[in-house]
Amino acid sequence: MKINRNILKSLLLVFLFPLAIGAQNSSEIFRAAGSPHNPKVQISFNRYYTSEGLAALSKKIADAHPNLVRRQSIGKSAKGKDIWMLAVTNYKKGQADRKPGFYVDGNIHSNEIQGGEIGIYTAWYLTENFNDNEYITNMLNDRVFYIVPTINPDARNDFMKEPNTGSSPRSGMIALDDDRDGKFDEDGYDDINGDGSITMMRRKSDHGNMIIDPQDPRKMIRIGPDDVVTAQRYEYLGNEGIDNDGDGRINEDTHGYYDPNRDWGWKWQPDYIQRGAYKHPFSLPETRAVADFVLAHPNIAGAQSFHNSGGMILRGPGAQEDLATYNRADIRIYDAIGMKGQKMLPGYRYLTVYKDLYSVFGGELDWFYGSRGVYTFTNEIFSQFAYYKKNGRDRNQLYDFDKELLMNDAFTPWKEFNHPTYGKIEVGGFKKNIGRATPGFMLEEEAHRNMAFTFYHAYHMPNLSIADISEKKMSGGLKEVTVTIKNDRLMPTHASQDLKYNITRPDYVSISGVNVVAGMMVTNADFNVTQEQKINPAKMRVRNIPGNSVVKIRWIVKGNSKFTIKVDSAKGGVVTKKSN
Amino acid sequence: MFHKKQALPFFLGMIFCFSTLQISAQSDYSNYSKLTQKIKNLQRTNSSSSKLEELTTTVGGHKIWALTLSKGDAKNKPAIAIVSGVDGSHILGPEMAVNIAENILKNHADVLEKTTFYIFPNMSPNATENYFSKLKHYQNGNAKKTDDDRDGETNEDPFEDLNNDGLITMMRVEDVTGDYIKLKEDNRILVKADKNKGQTGKYKIFSEGKDNDKDGKFNEDGKGGIQFNKNFSYAYNYFKPGVGEHPVSEKENRDLLSFLYEQWNIFAIITLGPENNLSSPLKYNASGARKRVVTSVLKQDAALNKFLSGKYNKITGTKDAPVSKGKGGDFFQWSYFHFGKLALSTPGWWVPKVKDSAKKSAKNKFVNYLNWAKKENISNAFVDWKQVSHPDFPGQKVEIGGIAPYKMINPPFKMVTDISKKHTDFILELAKMQPNITLQNLSTESVGNGLTRISVDVHNSGILPTHTQMGSRSRWLRKIKVELKLNKNQQIISGQEITLVNNIDGDSSQKFSWLIKGKGNVQLEAGTSHTGSDSATIKLK
Repeated sequence: MKINRNILKSLLLVFLFPLAIGAQNSSEIFRAAGSPHNPKVQISFNRYYTSEGLAALSKKIADAHPNLVRRQSIGKSAKGKDIWMLAVTNYKKGQADRKPGFYVDGNIHSNEIQGGEIGIYTAWYLTENFNDNEYITNMLNDRVFYIVPTINPDARNDFMKEPNTGSSPRSGMIALDDDRDGKFDEDGYDDINGDGSITMMRRKSDHGNMIIDPQDPRKMIRIGPDDVVTAQRYEYLGNEGIDNDGDGRINEDTHGYYDPNRDWGWKWQPDYIQRGAYKHPFSLPETRAVADFVLAHPNIAGAQSFHNSGGMILRGPGAQEDLATYNRADIRIYDAIGMKGQKMLPGYRYLTVYKDLYSVFGGELDWFYGSRGVYTFTNEIFSQFAYYKKNGRDRNQLYDFDKELLMNDAFTPWKEFNHPTYGKIEVGGFKKNIGRATPGFMLEEEAHRNMAFTFYHAYHMPNLSIADISEKKMSGGLKEVTVTIKNDRLMPTHASQDLKYNITRPDYVSISGVNVVAGMMVTNADFNVTQEQKINPAKMRVRNIPGNSVVKIRWIVKGNSKFTIKVDSAKGGVVTKKSN
Repeated sequence: MFHKKQALPFFLGMIFCFSTLQISAQSDYSNYSKLTQKIKNLQRTNSSSSKLEELTTTVGGHKIWALTLSKGDAKNKPAIAIVSGVDGSHILGPEMAVNIAENILKNHADVLEKTTFYIFPNMSPNATENYFSKLKHYQNGNAKKTDDDRDGETNEDPFEDLNNDGLITMMRVEDVTGDYIKLKEDNRILVKADKNKGQTGKYKIFSEGKDNDKDGKFNEDGKGGIQFNKNFSYAYNYFKPGVGEHPVSEKENRDLLSFLYEQWNIFAIITLGPENNLSSPLKYNASGARKRVVTSVLKQDAALNKFLSGKYNKITGTKDAPVSKGKGGDFFQWSYFHFGKLALSTPGWWVPKVKDSAKKSAKNKFVNYLNWAKKENISNAFVDWKQVSHPDFPGQKVEIGGIAPYKMINPPFKMVTDISKKHTDFILELAKMQPNITLQNLSTESVGNGLTRISVDVHNSGILPTHTQMGSRSRWLRKIKVELKLNKNQQIISGQEITLVNNIDGDSSQKFSWLIKGKGNVQLEAGTSHTGSDSATIKLK
């Protein structure tokens, strides 16, 4: 009996435990506007998660919301880690993969980590607000979100777990011979001071061009041509490292190097033209997994990738040579969404890659748009604006911010070491988690604003309805049926790039249940200008349903039976309506 | 009579005998299984100097073979890759590649001491099989289902053999709205009417078949597949039929590149396919070479191409080759512009020019072909125009006819042995000229006080440069590494322990010297994977 009671007790504990770590007693909580107040899944958004951390969080979200989330691995990374994707929608309404799809990923550059947390925040926010918030409920009824928090799990972990700078490794983890000496990754960084970050090396030098700021020993000041210097001079020796391969250079063949965001199959160019390209388009398992997924999901109509930093909302073209791909009709749509983003994300600017950043081939946003006709933005998360909520460059503000708001957590003080080549040196500087990665207390806001921007983008994917069905009797037992199909959002079912190359199949508008004699598209209702489709008129092939617009289809049918109209659009979804 | 255990070796023996017999009595090109058998037999009888690997299996279920010819350590000597079957209508290529492998193994095996060959006989097996099928037609793609006209439907408008002759040829329809007329010189051939000469069109021409999907286009979406020679990244023609949804989307393309990227010893790639820079070299264009996205062969590489083209024309004795440039997405241009290797390509054969009594040859290439076919007694070169009734052209005169598929691209089989031999000779000549790094004029002198000066010329004794001009830009060709290896009690006073050199031209050298403190021996090494290497042990004075 005793044993049984114990078993019962422990069983009870097992059942209660998830509840205990889950929702709080509702009487203890007051909802802050715009945030899930008592979520089933508790997540701290003031810290970062490793690849395993993100995988565990995505599983928690999927397990807690089985009717809203399907979790799937879209492929394996170079080192064999799963690339987890959450497909979030209301699975009880409609067919998930036939709803207009919005793709989100992050962390393609290993050190640009915020995308992981933004992806998780988005999935969490959608699932925890479903049925609490009408906007979110409608969003999940009508759309599907494909969220891949990290498409680079190998090197995300390397950034977090191995000594790195705030900017390394941008590359993935496949070893490459950067200096073309026949050896792979043989001379990487060395964490001389053991703080887990690659900081700077400096050395006392009578001929150096730097001195220590007498008012802040963390800082170095460059000596000007007219300065009279009495203090100890220093010279910088670059990032922490030693000459591991004895070739007279330091850190010249670190992990990688290739750039996963030069590996995409639109106007791809090899490494000698586009530094960072790997072997051929989609030669990396991670980018290929995304490409294969997207090719298998023609319902994806909008996409977003998250990078850091600089506070930018970027659109293509990446390369000046690709200018002609982006035409005016589509740029108008990009501008409308991008300008809204600029308002929603203070400190961020809406920019075009090739002219405002650099001219680059093989980027993700260009493949999505150029090859798939999907409107796509890349956000460069975090900018200096965030430190004191003001614009302007001030090289001292990071030192101030570290002292005043981070309690000196982001800086490793200078300390003396012996270097095998340089002799007595000092090592110190800002750690890898400052400068590009958003500091903890601001991370939730950063995630929220960026998510809200993707919602605005996703909201404006095509939204189709059958607005009107009118019938007119004709002589000889014939009837004219005119159907008005409405798209009440900004995006067309086919971007103009899509129309130019027939990327996505036409939209089909079909009538069933009646005998169809003729079918035509009404191009001008007032003057009765129509365009007949001679073959198979019951299934009209419509090239495009433009944004904020209507398309009219007319059939001449025989008899008086009831009929059903079906609109079937790859990127606009499926709607049906029965005749009166 | 037979025990079961004995039966199997007996039958295998029989099969082997039959297949050898078949080879000796071969009268037409080999289909996939025969060629595979040939490759396997060849490898089996030369197992010490060859290796056969399955590169991949295509979507159509064909294995792609990679045959390595080498003696000893294959990876540690300069290598030539030979890639054929890049274009499915070029049946000659795969046959030639296997013949070349056979010639090297049987008659020139000594070349394998210093050079490795990686041979990929057929990259388009699904496509080349069409030549051997009951219905012969050009279909150069793999077995992937494709929507060639991008209308949302797949394979909805294939060819039809309307005259039941087992060939897909052309249809001509008498129609005053057509643009074509019969050519005076040979009225079997149709050409576009020239308004400026007062001509008006009388025919419409289409490929043989019906307009199954009634879209006004004929046979535009049959079993298209993705074409190996259109699926590469240089000058890729996005959204065109047969190219795939993105460059290097197909297994055979991808896995070939994966293989090539791992063979650091390859210095040259020979494509046996439609492109031809061996009969006449690629031309240098200064503005194209200066662009960020380079569109012209670089200057030094153009000169090298010219030199090798001269050798090719002399050794093969060929002439009058039609100019044949890459059409984009092709393997040959990839091997130069994106891989940076010494890239050479030839179809191996083309229709010779036939001269009449006035020593003039026909301007029209089809007429020239028909003249040549007549001279060579080639039967069935042309399917004579014959009227059929066609459902898409009620009440109109429709005729089927035209040059039989494959005939203009591939020579009669009896010519293949000679073509293969001459191309083997050219390839052997290329191997002779390969880059070859050696240490020359090595000297040591005592400077006194325990110091020794070492001087050496790192010399490329090959005619070819170690790196093409393009290759010296590419991360996929290693630099020449000159390394002096020291012991503990030795110290470099002047000079570099390791120097990486971008390029050493053919028959050229670069001087190095070091000042070393210490005693005993040091080791000097120079070279890299695709240039050969040399080393010396030097006693300090």
